Amino acid sequence: MQIYLPIAEMPVDPFVIVLLGGAVGFLSGLFGVGGGFLMTPLLIFYGIPPAVAVGTQGAQIVASSVTGLTAHLRRKAVDFQMGRFLVLGGAFGALAGVGLFRYLRALGQVEVFISLAYVAFLGLIGALMLAESLRAILRDPAKARPRRRSRRTAWMAALPWPMRFRRSQLYISPLPPVVLGFFGGVLSAILGVGGGFAMVPAMIYILNMPTNVVIGTSLFQIIFVMAITTVLHAAANQTVDIFLALLLLTGGVVGAQLGARAGVFIKAAQLRALLALLVLAVCTRLVFGLILPPDEPFVVEVL
Amino acid sequence: MRLFVIAALLAFSANAARAADIAIALTDDLVEVDAGFAGAKVVLFGALIGETVGPTQARVEDYDIVAVVRGPATMFRLRPMLRQRMIWLPGPAIDIGAPEVLLVSATRALDEIAQRETLRELGVGADAAALAAALAPSDAGAAFVRASGALAVSEAFLDHVRREGRFRETAGAVNFRKGALFSIDIELAPATPVGEYGVDVFLFREGALVSRDDATLSVRKVGIERGVYDLAHGKPLAYGLGCVLISLAAGWLAAAAFRK
Repeated sequence: MQIYLPIAEMPVDPFVIVLLGGAVGFLSGLFGVGGGFLMTPLLIFYGIPPAVAVGTQGAQIVASSVTGLTAHLRRKAVDFQMGRFLVLGGAFGALAGVGLFRYLRALGQVEVFISLAYVAFLGLIGALMLAESLRAILRDPAKARPRRRSRRTAWMAALPWPMRFRRSQLYISPLPPVVLGFFGGVLSAILGVGGGFAMVPAMIYILNMPTNVVIGTSLFQIIFVMAITTVLHAAANQTVDIFLALLLLTGGVVGAQLGARAGVFIKAAQLRALLALLVLAVCTRLVFGLILPPDEPFVVEVL
Repeated sequence: MRLFVIAALLAFSANAARAADIAIALTDDLVEVDAGFAGAKVVLFGALIGETVGPTQARVEDYDIVAVVRGPATMFRLRPMLRQRMIWLPGPAIDIGAPEVLLVSATRALDEIAQRETLRELGVGADAAALAAALAPSDAGAAFVRASGALAVSEAFLDHVRREGRFRETAGAVNFRKGALFSIDIELAPATPVGEYGVDVFLFREGALVSRDDATLSVRKVGIERGVYDLAHGKPLAYGLGCVLISLAAGWLAAAAFRK
């Protein structure tokens, strides 16, 4: 059976797409990450035009982040005040990212650019994650100490307009979250990822936010930034395929629930090492795509 | 439908003029692309009329038939893949005007049917030389075309569109039915672009054009596919907002469904 996608303008097997959504959803439930960073390359490997893969991911990430946020809202683990500043920066970042995307698309370079950006992004994240999880596996559990929150926020309080962020117990200027949000927004727009797994460490280590509100706040930011990104991609590039998004999230929501349940039975450090290897495998596949001679001597597009 | 076409052609051929002539009709003149579209087959029926029919005259086998299905005219943009430092990047743009789809079905291989010049004049088949003459490279692209040759570029283009299935030449694709009646199956790929298609059928004898006929074929998106596509391109902002609303609703539904 085939379904014809109206925007990608190609027929796909809906079961394959739902399974793909389910598999990535399972991983994201298992590891507690959004999974966009795996979904976009997989869609490209399947044959979806890269521009459509990136544009469509936004819609699917909005849906999965709403599902995730509801759980954090019940626990009141969201810093809305911080979230607003992250969203403010994110909106401008998304605007810049979509503009860059549109410019590169006109030059015919967007596909190589997406690949290169993914190689850098996945290579860095995969390597960091692998190193961190290997350290955790090898560390003697008897010597392990709970990490203390460092409190070096003085430089951020010295910036203009410092204010109190009650939920995060911080007294800092809103500029660092706005700048951080901006980079998150650029990342979202050009890579089709929520960017949670870059934003979460940044919020912990740079902004010094307490870990219990970080994920909820990041999901809050992702929903708004991805919603803006989706509207911008739809308006500027016409690359959002709602059929594709609905197929992906059908599989995704079920997969995420199963993954979250399976995650309880597996050790966290081993799990992260596994995810790191997976990320590096996808990265390697993209590198080969860039350095091996292409199958076709020309790329051809219909104007 | 098919019976009707055959009956109409038979009736037509009985009253036809004396000169060798060809008449065709399509089983469908509209192909609808909907959510379940996975390619389509359109059958072209035709008849040789006039002197071909009748025992003393030339036999059907003495004739060659070529059907050309031509998609909407468009511009293709080619970018040669060039190695820069470590990686392969798309190079400067070279534009080339060609139909989006070109399907040629013939009794034999084209070069056995007629001279290349004859075919070129009639616009039968894909002609690398004609495409090479019409290349529209950008400034940087012009240097590439000079270096590798316009003909090589247009041949690489033809290789590409043939591999994609956009351009296809099939010999032995004409099925003769009763006497001077024939049919040609036209297979449209799942990724067939929408638009108005022209169908030209040529009748050759000993390398010379004897007669021709034509028909048109529309490929259109219909139903929800069309609605989504038109909305996304006509009112992109509204479409984007709609997508976000649907996603928000879907995410909320999923959360409600899985809450313990």
